[in-house]
Amino acid sequence: MPDGTVATTDAIEHVRISDQAAPANAVQARKEPPPEKPDQIRIRNLVLLSFWAIIVFLGLPIWWKTTAIYRARLPLNDMMDWAEGRACRPVFPLRISIEADSLQDYEARHLLRMTQHALDDLNDFSAHHLRLQLSPSTNASFGASGISTGNTDEEVALTIRLLKGDTFQANLQKYSPILDIYYTPIQVPSISISSSSLGTFIASTLRQLFAEEQAMIAYLFSTSSAPPERSPKALAPNVAESLAKWRIRSTKYSRTHHLTFSLFAPSATPSSWDIEAALEEHMKPLLESFSAISNFTIDTQVQLYATPGVSGNILKREDLSGFINAAEWPLSPSIGGAPTINFIVYVGDMEVEGGGKSWLIPQWGGVVIQSDVKDLRPAMLIFSNQLMSLLGAPESGSLPLRLMTLVRVRSAGLLLKASGTMGSLARLTLALPSISIPRSVADGVYTTLSHLRKACDGLGGKEGLENARIAEEAAEKAFFEKSMVGQVYFPDEHKVAVYMPLLGPMGVPLVMGVLKEFKAWRKRRRVAAGAR
Amino acid sequence: MRQLPSLLLLLVLSACVFASSDYHEQLVLKPLHPSLLLASFNFQSKTSWASFEQQNFRYFPRSLGQILQHANTRELHLRFSLGRWDAESWGARPWGGTREGGTGVELWAWVEADTDEEAEGRWLTLTNALSGLFCASLNFIDSTRTTRPVMSFQPAEQYSNSSSENLHLLHGTLPREVVCTENLTPFLKLLPCKGKAGISSLLDGHKLFDASWQSMSIDVTPVCVPGTSECQLQITHTIDMVLDIQRSKRPRDNPIPRPVANEDLKCDTSKPYHSHDTCYPLDTSAQEEDWSLSQIFGHSMKGSCPLANDGTDQVCINVPHARNVFASSGAAEHKDESGYSRCYEVPADQDFELALPQQEISEKVPIEQPLLYAERSFIGYGQERGGVQAILTNPSLIDAVDFVYMESLPWFMKLYLHTLKAKISNGNGKSSKDDVIQEMYYQPALDRKRGTQLEVRILIPANSTVILTYDFEKAILRYTEYPPDANRGFDIAPAVITIGNDISIRTTTLLLPLPTPDFSMPYNVIILTSTVMALGFGSVLNLLVRRFVGVDEAEKWDLRAIRFKVAAMVAALVRKFRRRRDHTE
Repeated sequence: MPDGTVATTDAIEHVRISDQAAPANAVQARKEPPPEKPDQIRIRNLVLLSFWAIIVFLGLPIWWKTTAIYRARLPLNDMMDWAEGRACRPVFPLRISIEADSLQDYEARHLLRMTQHALDDLNDFSAHHLRLQLSPSTNASFGASGISTGNTDEEVALTIRLLKGDTFQANLQKYSPILDIYYTPIQVPSISISSSSLGTFIASTLRQLFAEEQAMIAYLFSTSSAPPERSPKALAPNVAESLAKWRIRSTKYSRTHHLTFSLFAPSATPSSWDIEAALEEHMKPLLESFSAISNFTIDTQVQLYATPGVSGNILKREDLSGFINAAEWPLSPSIGGAPTINFIVYVGDMEVEGGGKSWLIPQWGGVVIQSDVKDLRPAMLIFSNQLMSLLGAPESGSLPLRLMTLVRVRSAGLLLKASGTMGSLARLTLALPSISIPRSVADGVYTTLSHLRKACDGLGGKEGLENARIAEEAAEKAFFEKSMVGQVYFPDEHKVAVYMPLLGPMGVPLVMGVLKEFKAWRKRRRVAAGAR
Repeated sequence: MRQLPSLLLLLVLSACVFASSDYHEQLVLKPLHPSLLLASFNFQSKTSWASFEQQNFRYFPRSLGQILQHANTRELHLRFSLGRWDAESWGARPWGGTREGGTGVELWAWVEADTDEEAEGRWLTLTNALSGLFCASLNFIDSTRTTRPVMSFQPAEQYSNSSSENLHLLHGTLPREVVCTENLTPFLKLLPCKGKAGISSLLDGHKLFDASWQSMSIDVTPVCVPGTSECQLQITHTIDMVLDIQRSKRPRDNPIPRPVANEDLKCDTSKPYHSHDTCYPLDTSAQEEDWSLSQIFGHSMKGSCPLANDGTDQVCINVPHARNVFASSGAAEHKDESGYSRCYEVPADQDFELALPQQEISEKVPIEQPLLYAERSFIGYGQERGGVQAILTNPSLIDAVDFVYMESLPWFMKLYLHTLKAKISNGNGKSSKDDVIQEMYYQPALDRKRGTQLEVRILIPANSTVILTYDFEKAILRYTEYPPDANRGFDIAPAVITIGNDISIRTTTLLLPLPTPDFSMPYNVIILTSTVMALGFGSVLNLLVRRFVGVDEAEKWDLRAIRFKVAAMVAALVRKFRRRRDHTE
């Protein structure tokens, strides 16, 4: 017994050491098959080669072609140019015409040159500059919207009337874009004097008038993802902060806006309000002045038994956004796709901490708390102010000037946004090679680029705004194309699950066959080399 | 001068129309036998056409008004229903059946459009917008579920000729839609008093959807002073429900019915086998149940809605005058002369409660007999031998009934019109082959585009029954056209029976089982193809590539060698394990 175990242990050790020898030792040596004829080897190699040739030259191309994703061609270079601000230098040349009836022609021209020099010296923002021109004297006429049509084709941003007066002052008219500058006759420069105080006065007044607009445009340039090449002017931190708030507050530009005026009462009274007359008297004139920029549709409603989202007589600042009880109050957006601005009058006597009774909700609307709805005039005035803020108009200046500023600022904003979207789309297509790019995206991109070009060439007017709006709309539509994203989330396991059962059993014998032939060929060569 | 008095009269009339309050609401309670209660909530608001056009909304809901304007809809009728109205026990339907629809959702509207395609586009806008407003899947009402009935629905206002040419009537049903509390909440939001005061404060989702039959409806119709073009737009919200008094009295926190205790069982003591362990239930048909508003609805009514100030009493109950009804203090009771109804004027700021004690009373409010009894069911079997049978009975002994029977079938239920038969049998047992079908309108189906529309005008003589039968065949649907839970079947919309202008009856929906495919086929195809490829290709390649040698010349898998190898590995492992154990010990 011990011998047996020793013997088997030895055998096992032997087996452990060299397992190559085991089969030969353990069984009888097998009979070697006769050597293969070279013909047979050649045929076998040819068979394997032909299988592989079909796979590589026929199978792979067909599979590649039939599983290719349609990617339309996009003008990526142009899109990146626009995104980085290389394609367009947005300039806002504002024309200001000077009516100097009381001066002689050469005096007026000299004054013009002086003032233009002064303006250019003071201006540090090259994208927004003021160009003065002399308006032909008596033929200027004013259209209903307050923009001077005169004899020139382009719109004039402001008309300066030089009038003789006692003191040196500037007076901006409220309802039309006219600036009256009073001067005393001795202030007119003669040609010999190189600078004149009238010129600098005019220049500084103009700069003050357009300071807010310049700041807004500079802010847009500096915070966009597509900054123009020239470095925009630096803004003071408090200015930048107030402009950041302005941007958060204003709604997206749209050709149509819906305004909804709602009365919410916590009990059954008051159940009616004289809103129609109040709107007619206070709101409609303002909305008509906007008609060049946007259309407005108005609807009103009365909702009773409305409890606000927060209770209490004093509303803290954090409670203000929760005041609107969105679950119960039917403030759904108006049908039709255009953005809705809600104005709410709540009947009650709570007030905000700090004493106010009205507040603005950014990009949404405004709330006024009133306990008596017989007199709606104060509420309407508050709503008008809130509407102007929500639409993004600047706060200083007369109404026509604010509207024109709004047009220019919106054009700039839309232009930059569309350019940014183009850049994002270009980066997206480069980063995700597995998504498909349908034809509609390519069409949208071409539309956007053509309208961007038109907008850039004609910035500053209503046409520029319209082109910029179309460009931005087409850019958003192209970027958010639904069918593009479908392939991104396709799980790879599905591909493996479908290909493996089909290709696995085919691939394994082919690969093994090649490997075996290769090993046999190497053995034959070694044998042949050894024999030599 | 002669025109002046008539003009004055007209002015006074129109002033009367517009001086009446713009809002009124009413609740009518009617006990049905046995132990059931029909509660009908009705809310009506009006707005003048001018303020509707200028979008100044006061009592009319703004969200609905804007949808109607956007979709150019003149008149709208929307219904949500659940349950079955048992006409034999409960009598005629409330409001004559005009405020109810088939099970699920039913919608019909008169849309202004110049062409048919424009009307279809506006109808699509309407259904999608309403689906968002009411949280119901109305957006599934597409062209396969929409029909244009010709004889069945009449507009509430007879429009002047100029505008009636471009008015299109479109009717859509969704019988599969389940109506539940998420449809009640937007409904309540449309009311001026919003479920916080007045009769709407009694509406509670739990009680409403526990009912045996319930129906919510919205009707928007223009109401014009005859002769002038002064119009108002009227919106009527109605909620009807048939509540089981016993079930509603179960407490909310303990809704499981538990067996009544032995002492509380009402046994018929006159039976010979009555003893302490045997009880034959007492026939309580002569006794009236006791119930109160807060037991049935969960809480009492919170005052009245102050907007309804036109003098009508808000709560009416249809019980004989002999029945004792106790109302909370502050409510004024007015009994009416017919002997079967009394109404209460609810004070504005107090809760209102109504309680009816148990009472033995033999007088019952007479049940109004319906004009027609209708039933519809499937006959036949299988894929090709299906059939539908509708049994329409005229119970009246004197009057014949002239009505329109409308069926709207899906396209996969292929109707064979030549098999439509109407058999009439008299109450005396005689059967005659008189021509009962007076007029027929039939629009055949287009596969996957449009369903079948069949409208038949039938005249039933007194005391007779008409049995309408027709055969149909089921189509085979594509793999992706089956709904989730495909084996349940497809719901077929109820048949709509219209009698005259103001009575309408609907049958129940039918459940059509269609053969379902094997939904696991794609997996099976992949597996089968892969197997065939593996076996076939592998075998062929091996035949071509392998070399055939004698059995004794082949390289064999040596079993003994493998055994040795495995034994060696096992021994090595055991030795390692033993060594480790020795080390640790």
